Amino acid sequence: MASSTCAQQPALANFPLLTNKEFNSACREFLDRVRLVDESTSKQLTVRLTQRTTGPILSIIRRIAHPGIPTCDGLSLEDEPNPRRQLEAYEDDPEALIRTTEPSIGLHVVYDVVLSPTYQTPVLYFGLRRYGHPEPLGIDAIYQYLVPSQYRKELRSVGVMGGISLGYHPDSGTPAFFVHPCNTADAMRQLAGHRHVTPETYLIIWLGLVGNRLGLQLPREIFATDGMRGILRC
Amino acid sequence: MDAKASLGSIQKAVWNGKLPLHITLAASESRTFDQTDPYLISYSRISYLPSLLPRLRDFFASSLINPTSGPHEGWFSFEGVPLKWHYPIGLLYDLYAGADPASKGGTDTDLLSAADEDPLPWRLTVHFSDWPDEELVRLDAEGMVMHDAFINSVKEADFLRNGTAKGIMTLSKEDSAGLWRAVRDVDLPSFQRISNILLPPPNQPFRNVPIRFFLPLPPDSDSPSLKVVQSPIPPVIQPSSAVAASTMNVAASQSVMAAARGAPQTQTVGSALHALLPNLFPSRRTPVLAKPVLHGAAVPMGAPVEELVRCSAYGDGWVYVVVRMMG
Repeated sequence: MASSTCAQQPALANFPLLTNKEFNSACREFLDRVRLVDESTSKQLTVRLTQRTTGPILSIIRRIAHPGIPTCDGLSLEDEPNPRRQLEAYEDDPEALIRTTEPSIGLHVVYDVVLSPTYQTPVLYFGLRRYGHPEPLGIDAIYQYLVPSQYRKELRSVGVMGGISLGYHPDSGTPAFFVHPCNTADAMRQLAGHRHVTPETYLIIWLGLVGNRLGLQLPREIFATDGMRGILRC
Repeated sequence: MDAKASLGSIQKAVWNGKLPLHITLAASESRTFDQTDPYLISYSRISYLPSLLPRLRDFFASSLINPTSGPHEGWFSFEGVPLKWHYPIGLLYDLYAGADPASKGGTDTDLLSAADEDPLPWRLTVHFSDWPDEELVRLDAEGMVMHDAFINSVKEADFLRNGTAKGIMTLSKEDSAGLWRAVRDVDLPSFQRISNILLPPPNQPFRNVPIRFFLPLPPDSDSPSLKVVQSPIPPVIQPSSAVAASTMNVAASQSVMAAARGAPQTQTVGSALHALLPNLFPSRRTPVLAKPVLHGAAVPMGAPVEELVRCSAYGDGWVYVVVRMMG
């Protein structure tokens, strides 16, 4: 993973904006990182990268075996890495394994990260479905199952309908929820403006910023390797 | 005629543009199957389809097999294709009706005439049940979803023009709601008052121009997605800058560079199309294989893109150009 150490990657040309090329390389490096730990995380997450005419799409599919109250227990850049915690919670509970095969209980979320041609920042499109049901769940279910309680008020209070909008997926053209990206560039500048930001660190910080609010929790072992441990010191 | 008066008169013509619509109730939802009288209306091109739903729901009330559905459960289709309600009616017509665009010399005769029959009035079907969830975002009774989609689009245009979304974010709540109301009610004076707060003054050029190009789909395509091309397009091509090079392929950015050798040049519809879609637009000046269509008319290739946006954008601040193949 020498390619993902901060020192060897050039900083972004137009931070806090991201070019197509930078977004593409960020997605590739992220995918490489996930592949290293894939076996142990594949129970919860599937990550893939597809190239479409509109640009690359980084898809992350998360399975929620027992939907409950979401917590902000995933990616948190300030915390010490604790790679085993999340996975063990599932492995130690024999009932969990039974429940994952129960179609009426489980949920799965498809998160698609694409680059906005207007804002030149990543945008998160996502849809929540029950196992075995093709129709997507509505906004109330999104808040109930995905948005950690500490973010609900903040997300609901902005814009005409809150920070989560319904629009059309740029590739499939089908309805999808998305987080409106008009403030992403400013938020990224505030979070990471003083650091040497490479494409991959940009994507990781962005996932922490936007993903955490929508239940996109990445197991910490993804960040337990080499340069990413020192992401904030780069 | 000075330039300002001319831009104003074009904007007025755009806002006055109307389409005759012939709307029938879906036969499967009608007590009289396909014998229900159609609803006929001449409707503003810059309006959105959901604005018609309350009156259509009233008009077809006695014919509905299921009388419990509300106006916001209504959706439209053309020849079986559900129409995306967040696009203005005029754009949907330019995209789907297959009509020849008007041009200076009258109707174009060099364009492929896809429609054997007269495309006008535009024949649409309204449905009040069986919402196509895989294709259309659902509306709500309060009209919030529609309003939200409009404002998101306004924000995007604002961000491209200024490089920040501060304009629309600092717009007062009344003016923000007023902008949507002005477009919904086709009230040009109210619209101009609020949009003048958002638009940079004429002597201050846009950073980028909010313009999207819609490509024709191959006839055998079963994808519901429209192919939309968007890339940062500055109003002036600087001699030494690689305009949006990072978002274009190498050939496209080289052609922008070649065009920009020497003095700064005004970005025209032709130069933008040539840079983004060099295969369809091998020339910057003459349409060879395809034509740009806006508000039902063929756009001159030499039209400067910033002027085009200032005078003939839709209510959300965007210019939506449909690329039409020539026969």
